[in-house]
Amino acid sequence: MNKLLSLEEMASQIQNGSTVAIGGSSISRKPMAMVRALARSGVRDLRLIVDVGGPEVDLLIGVGAVREVIYAFVGFEFLGLAPHFRQARQVQSVAFQEWTEYTIMAGLEATIKRIPFMPTHTGLATDVLRVNRSFGRISDPFGGPDVVAVPPLAPDYALIHVNYADAQGHGVILGDSHVDALCAKAAKTTFMSCEHVLSSKDLRTMKATAQILRIYTKGVVEVPWGAHPTIMAPEYRLDLEAFNTYLQHCVDANRWDQYVREVVLPSHADYLAGQGGVASLTARLKPPSSGGPSTQQ
Amino acid sequence: MKRGADMTELTYGLDELMIDAMARELSGEVLVSSVTAFGALAGLVAKAFYAPDLALLSSPESGMDVDITPTLSLGQFFAFAQSGVAIGMEEAFDAIFLDRFRIWINPAQIDQWGNVNISAIGPWDHPKVALVGSRGIPEDTSHLSKLCYYVLDHTRRSLVASVDFRSGAGNSNERRQTLGQIGSPSVLVSNLGTFDFKGPQGSMRLRSLHPGVDVTNIIEATGFTPAINPDDAIPTTPAPSAEVVAFIRNHDPLNLRHMEMNKGNASGSLLEQAYARELDLFPSTAPRGL
Repeated sequence: MNKLLSLEEMASQIQNGSTVAIGGSSISRKPMAMVRALARSGVRDLRLIVDVGGPEVDLLIGVGAVREVIYAFVGFEFLGLAPHFRQARQVQSVAFQEWTEYTIMAGLEATIKRIPFMPTHTGLATDVLRVNRSFGRISDPFGGPDVVAVPPLAPDYALIHVNYADAQGHGVILGDSHVDALCAKAAKTTFMSCEHVLSSKDLRTMKATAQILRIYTKGVVEVPWGAHPTIMAPEYRLDLEAFNTYLQHCVDANRWDQYVREVVLPSHADYLAGQGGVASLTARLKPPSSGGPSTQQ
Repeated sequence: MKRGADMTELTYGLDELMIDAMARELSGEVLVSSVTAFGALAGLVAKAFYAPDLALLSSPESGMDVDITPTLSLGQFFAFAQSGVAIGMEEAFDAIFLDRFRIWINPAQIDQWGNVNISAIGPWDHPKVALVGSRGIPEDTSHLSKLCYYVLDHTRRSLVASVDFRSGAGNSNERRQTLGQIGSPSVLVSNLGTFDFKGPQGSMRLRSLHPGVDVTNIIEATGFTPAINPDDAIPTTPAPSAEVVAFIRNHDPLNLRHMEMNKGNASGSLLEQAYARELDLFPSTAPRGL
């Protein structure tokens, strides 16, 4: 079965009000090309589920596409706080549920295993359980102390970006696996973008840290530089220049409108041209020694 | 506190003193994860000088036992280039649940009971400053028998009587009732001294003073009164050896520890410099097309 489709075809299937789980982790392997396509589609009232979120959450809040965020973390790591997330938290323009890294995983796992909750000690004696009423408390049927009950997290869609995939929807990840496989399995519909489409035979030779089985994948989009400006190990590093441009445009509404117009609304090909083109990106983010012998150290 | 003035006579910096103090807290055969330069360097010093069996990671979830140098964003590339063990999130959390995991956490606020906050300044639902969210700290504080915290700006804003939000659990009746003996805050290394939680009812207690710091400085900079033994009983934080200092300098060629110390100040240019240099320094682990 051929599951290849375009970014725009993917985005057009996601309806207003959908619950969307997004893979990756803060500034690593975020499906940014798919997220920008979603922003372009004009979809509204999304509920986002992220374990460790970053620029994808911030951008979708910035374009007004988000109704609620379920998260353990949203930030830009050494580049600081996520500006639109921070603003939305402070003025309460979006609903937020603070979870934790493991409980997000447990909630997805509960959906995958089709059980009503997952038990854990996580969160006891913290304020996460006070401000987040989604969690329950259950007594131990075997006589021990109470435990926390984590309810299922059931995304309508999952968006993940991987290194390689075949047209049938089998994907492999070469860097850190994050929570992408859980998102892909828990969602009713999973869209996967990839740096490169390979034949199924070639894909099997890849030494993967995680695999996404094609039985869980609805559509595959081939998008080189699809995680840009985040880290895509082992192919390209974080683009500091692009992050700085983003942050500089979050300071007021005019600059943000300009950013949306110039960076978010253009097609992926035009986006790459706007970043200086593939040659410039390669020079900045992949070293000249790429694949060749080391000349230093 | 005139930190720089106090320490100009010394052959090491405050950063190196703190990193060495942090390293001395790590022991055994456990995974050590880090998301900061100070945490990464503490792990490296510990493994080289104090605790050779530590299993250091190059990213929060991969790169066990590879040859690591702290970088801005190349941790996964080290793991890939050296075929480091890919841990994954499930494995990382199993190590937390099994208490075979340590991490140095840098909270925005820590209080006298060892509760820590990285979620919000002000009320959680209408914060004055929204921070990042609790991340994996609740997992750590619900399961680890040793919880390690550090702050680089020991002031009444960071060491507070009571945190605005408990992202991580300190000592409390609630902890005793719900978690029993599982987990507890253990140590805080600040830029003024080191502390444990062996004061009354598990409250914070001054353990050592950094060179040039006295008890008055601590009291002035702290938003509560930490438990303090009589003056003559408070030792000075041990100086790092010349070998440790040389090791730290060798293992931080990008100067990330100073970038972290200067956050919100001169960090912009330090960041640009580190970013410009990291590929040149580590061509063998550089990003590559396949």
